Amino acid sequence: MVLSKKNIAITAGLIVIIMTGYLYKEYHRQLADITSVQPVAKINVAAIVNLYQNDETKANQQYLNKTIQVKGAITEIINQQDTLINVFIGDTNSVHNVSCLLDKRHFNTIKKYTTGQQITIKGICTGFLLDVELNRCVIVQDNQ
Amino acid sequence: MKFLLPLSLFIMVASSAIAQSKYFTKAGKITFFSKSSLENIEAVNNKVVSVLDVTTGQIEFAVLMKGFEFERALMQEHFNENYVESDKYPKAIFKGTIENSKGISLTGDNAFTLKVNGSLTMHGVTNLINTTAVITVKSGVVSASCNFNIALEDYKISVPAVVADKINKRLTIAVSIPAYQVMTTK
Repeated sequence: MVLSKKNIAITAGLIVIIMTGYLYKEYHRQLADITSVQPVAKINVAAIVNLYQNDETKANQQYLNKTIQVKGAITEIINQQDTLINVFIGDTNSVHNVSCLLDKRHFNTIKKYTTGQQITIKGICTGFLLDVELNRCVIVQDNQ
Repeated sequence: MKFLLPLSLFIMVASSAIAQSKYFTKAGKITFFSKSSLENIEAVNNKVVSVLDVTTGQIEFAVLMKGFEFERALMQEHFNENYVESDKYPKAIFKGTIENSKGISLTGDNAFTLKVNGSLTMHGVTNLINTTAVITVKSGVVSASCNFNIALEDYKISVPAVVADKINKRLTIAVSIPAYQVMTTK
């Protein structure tokens, strides 16, 4: 069957529309909510801090830019007028803990927590400065 | 760890007698901005670690490159993968000295505009930076801010040819430390 010029034009037009739609969507894509992302590791604060302190390069190879789930006690919650919430978990006597920058879409979930409570947080590991740093964090319910 | 080891020890061993002139924060902010014909590029990192010693004038910043957040995911991915190669070079570090830091009075409310000279290491390249910083003391809280410009080519950050003519190859970096904490013995 030979395609008519009209059919070719319609097909080409559809392809252009689909491609334009895809590019527009991709260009405006927001960072994904990681609630449903399976973590590559479930680990406690002391263990991940030890890994980074002992061999930062190796720890980065394992965890950098990956989703990890960390459990520990809340040492501090810094809420900058609901524009930014950073939750520190670990040990108040330790210099190095885990710092979790919450995903804005999940700010409300931290409000029932206070310092000293146990919490499980999942986030994207961005590396190690004084603390192991996690971004785009979400709070994980106890049964997960 | 070259930056952090001394800082860790600093926090652990700093005696109360000398601690009053030494400050640190884990909650500094660095924003960079680039205006261009194709699109403006802006990103923010709210987890900047900084140490300030008012007595010696030493000031340091460290930031994780993957901690920069962009408005759009695609831009953030390109930044990390194609520009700063943050898997290979995960940190940027500034080490500098504030000129005439002894003139900073920690009593009363004051703002001090002072020259800062130092070096910025990013993408595996170190370059000298000379800029002006404002150190503010208000109600006993020390804060700091400064702006400077960098050229991408100075840090061997290459721009893909397809957008090379449309991207501004100079970035304005804004550093803001809202509140330093006094270093205390742990």
